[in-house]
Amino acid sequence: MHILLIEDDELIGSGVRTGLELAGYTVDWFTCAADGRLALANLDSDLVVLDLGLPDIDGLTLLREWRAQGLTVPVLILTARDAVADRITGLKMGADDYLLKPFDLDELTARVQALLRRAAGRAQTLIEHGTISIDSNSRQVWRDDAEVELTRREFMLLQKLFNARGGILDIEQIKDSLYGLDTEVESNAVNVHIYHLRRKLGSDLIRTVRGLGYRLGEPEDMTEGCLK
Amino acid sequence: MKLIRAEMSLRRQLLLTLSLSFCVLWALAALWLYSDLRIQMRETLDQRLAASARMVAGLVSQLPEDARRRTTQPMLSIPPSTGVACQVSSLSGQIIMRTHGEFAGQLDATAPGFSNKIIDGESWRIFTHIEDDLKITTADRLTERVMLQRNVILVAVLPFIVALLGSLIMLWLGIRRGLRPLEHLRSELACRDPETLTPVKISNAPTELLPVIDTLNRLLVRTSDTLKREQRFTNDAAHELRTPLTAIKTHVQLASRLPSEQAHEALAQAEAGIARLQRILDQLLILARVEVEYPDSEIAYVNSKVIVKTALADLTDHERITVIQKDKPVTVNLPHELAAAALRNLLENSLRHTPHPSPITLEVQTKAQNVIFTISDRGDWPASQSTHNLTQRFWQRNDQTNKRGSGLGLAIVATICERFGGSLEFTARDDGGLVARLTLPISEHSAR
Repeated sequence: MHILLIEDDELIGSGVRTGLELAGYTVDWFTCAADGRLALANLDSDLVVLDLGLPDIDGLTLLREWRAQGLTVPVLILTARDAVADRITGLKMGADDYLLKPFDLDELTARVQALLRRAAGRAQTLIEHGTISIDSNSRQVWRDDAEVELTRREFMLLQKLFNARGGILDIEQIKDSLYGLDTEVESNAVNVHIYHLRRKLGSDLIRTVRGLGYRLGEPEDMTEGCLK
Repeated sequence: MKLIRAEMSLRRQLLLTLSLSFCVLWALAALWLYSDLRIQMRETLDQRLAASARMVAGLVSQLPEDARRRTTQPMLSIPPSTGVACQVSSLSGQIIMRTHGEFAGQLDATAPGFSNKIIDGESWRIFTHIEDDLKITTADRLTERVMLQRNVILVAVLPFIVALLGSLIMLWLGIRRGLRPLEHLRSELACRDPETLTPVKISNAPTELLPVIDTLNRLLVRTSDTLKREQRFTNDAAHELRTPLTAIKTHVQLASRLPSEQAHEALAQAEAGIARLQRILDQLLILARVEVEYPDSEIAYVNSKVIVKTALADLTDHERITVIQKDKPVTVNLPHELAAAALRNLLENSLRHTPHPSPITLEVQTKAQNVIFTISDRGDWPASQSTHNLTQRFWQRNDQTNKRGSGLGLAIVATICERFGGSLEFTARDDGGLVARLTLPISEHSAR
């Protein structure tokens, strides 16, 4: 899961980035609204953590702009403004959640998880698909009730596919989600992760859509696949 | 509420006092007129009664003597008319003529001159005149007189009463009209929400009320400005305190989760947050101190040289600052700590924005009643159009957050200047860098 962090304060930004990375997310951090705007236009982020007191453009303006463009990416606002009116304005402008500084790192992670879950249209942390079930909170995966060990990136890729609910994800989307902007990525890195996931969870779990990307296989196919 | 009551009573008081005095004065005048008129009328009517007696006497005396005595019956008879009576007799008692036979003898025994008598249950005014051997008595019925008096008084007093009532109505209208602006002010104040601080507007306010409204509006504007400033300051202060707190909290939490090597880094970041928090708190305390009242006796006045020394002592990197003292040191009319804080904040800002080891000069000179501290640097300051932003509380530069101050430094200098009659101006240098000019007033006190 890729998170876009826009926070102008050096100390807070570095802390939040490390905290979210510890929780297993890929984070790209920008210190001004202009860079954040550019990043969101080019990256397929799953969630934006947005500070309101930005030096160039007010965070709320940026948020309103995104919503006007029809971008539905969940946005969690971080702010030091505690007046109720400010919170209401933030939520009205299309923020999905609101966290007041100073916040608890665990609370931030929990809210990020909840927002991602809600964005995927689920109220439960446990998602099932055929014989596979995953818990997005504890980051555990089971196949036929037997727990399967996945690496951080494999889990993120699996979660991304689950959240797409059968929709097709292209390589770029998957790369953004796994690596963000910072890391130099090998051209076949995504293929390697797909290969490992198929080996661990069954070859029919992920379908290749030629020329477009990947999607989750139908549950029925998976059952058949497993029976073979 | 007090204002409303005072206004109401003012109107009632005016109405009461004026209408009471009107009534009393007009009533006294009416009484005076009435009594005067009564006396005048009685005298006039009496004179006429006497005149008619004399006139009859003149007529009767022309009758031949023996004719008067020939008969015991009245020789002349005058047809009686209501309200007046007449009787002529000889001194011996023989009636020569009379108007009212039924009065038989009632008018006989009257003494000469005026008298009142009740005849047949009615009051009469009687005048008896004796001429030669004739006794002439004339009488006026008092009822007629009273009737006449009443009519005269009615004619005289009615316009009085009408005029009085008219004046009272005019008075009431006048007072109402005159006090209308006050009433407007009252209702305007009564209707407004106590939280509202917008100026009061009264159309056609009289000149007497204008200073009151002006003063009230000035007070409202000042209160509203103060509240706005305080609100902004509280918001800004909350924001600026929360930011380092968040940094500290986040990094402390990270430190407990990261492997020891990275934990050290997180703790170092937390420490940086604490340092920033401390800077902000220090500056907030100075700001709070600027805004309290300073009793003259408690101010420690020092000269400009001591101020420069104190300001430099608190700066870590002060070797880069060259001080040029142009004139003889003079006493500055500011509390020592605040003057030093203002200068230190300016120097600190220059140091923060000037890359090491680029020098900074501080020039101190005396001009008229002021001492001027001029700080020139070659720092990479923001473009000149935003120099006025520099003194806004919690205004920070967009870039290079490692140069971050408390966001209060220059705002404090501006507040100190405003409070103690100094001034602060910035000029961008053509070759990059900034010149800050701090002007502080010179004191007449001698330095301690």
